[in-house]
Amino acid sequence: MVRTVLYVFGGVLLGLVIHLVVILLLPGLASNNVATRLAALGQVNKVVTLDPVQPGAANPLRLDPEMSYAICRLDLTKGPGELTGTLPVSFWSVSVYDRSGAVLYSTTNRDGIGQSLDVGVFDAAQTRLLAEQKIDVDAGLLIVETKSDDIFVVVKLEPPQPATRDRYSAQLGKLACRPLKT
Amino acid sequence: MLVVALAIGFGLSWYAVTDGRLVGAAQIGPWTAWPRAGSPEPDPYTKAYLARSGALQLGQGEGMQFIATADSDGTPLNRNCRYRIDGTTPTATFWTLVPTAPDGSTIARPDGPPGFNSARIARANDGSVQLYVSKTLAPLNWLEVTGDGPFWLVFNLYDTTVFSGVSSNDATLPSIIREAC
Repeated sequence: MVRTVLYVFGGVLLGLVIHLVVILLLPGLASNNVATRLAALGQVNKVVTLDPVQPGAANPLRLDPEMSYAICRLDLTKGPGELTGTLPVSFWSVSVYDRSGAVLYSTTNRDGIGQSLDVGVFDAAQTRLLAEQKIDVDAGLLIVETKSDDIFVVVKLEPPQPATRDRYSAQLGKLACRPLKT
Repeated sequence: MLVVALAIGFGLSWYAVTDGRLVGAAQIGPWTAWPRAGSPEPDPYTKAYLARSGALQLGQGEGMQFIATADSDGTPLNRNCRYRIDGTTPTATFWTLVPTAPDGSTIARPDGPPGFNSARIARANDGSVQLYVSKTLAPLNWLEVTGDGPFWLVFNLYDTTVFSGVSSNDATLPSIIREAC
């Protein structure tokens, strides 16, 4: 009896260890995460607008069919990057993702930015240079600091009516995604 | 011992990244959200959930996504039933409510809108909403769905104060009532 209880107790302990190992290893082992899906869509330093979600079609990123999306992939190893442009009057938001799919920074146009989007993405070393004023940036640039160099910037825009979707998506495509001129 | 260990280890892990109510997910009525999913430093459970779902999360500054897989009584949502989504919604610039299949594809009538948008619905005088999701004709705000089998309701609140602690009544989400099957 005592032996059975001990075995079960040992099993529970070992089970908890397995659980912790699984939870901690899962993010590293997952091959189908946001980063690989975005990487398949986006090219470095180029704005890619995503096709609208078709009825009944697979939607692995679980995008909101009411929104228009643009992705810009930045490689910060050669210097900071920026995403800049003008967006139409409607709700839009911008978010910065790292390879694990975590959102490093996000904001919406309701934060007083208005219609012009000006995001500069800097890694830790570049942020230090920025603080030492060794990188010169324009006033009003929204500065985002990241820990890694492989970064995805996603802009989500809400077309006010379904009929305006194409026009709004085209506007998203006019955003510039490039290395920051320093 | 090994059987117990394997069952608990993988069972608990499966539970944590799918349901996750005890570890990282918040539940309000039938709706579940992962409040830390859009944060720069997600906790290990949220990280595992992000890796498993592979979905593009909303950032904390952008909004919050709630998913319902069952109605307010806990019965899984089924496309053969008519559901009324009734109540008030948290403060948000706008929201969308989209019925999807469990794999994420939309299930609304192909030549219609994919879901509800807060800017394009009729509301009651007190600001509450009554939305109908069904295959058969329904009054007020009606979204026709197609196909058979289970479905999810995905509720995206953009620029919202939910979970920000600004107001106590922000965490009231509409209930999902099964009307007829």
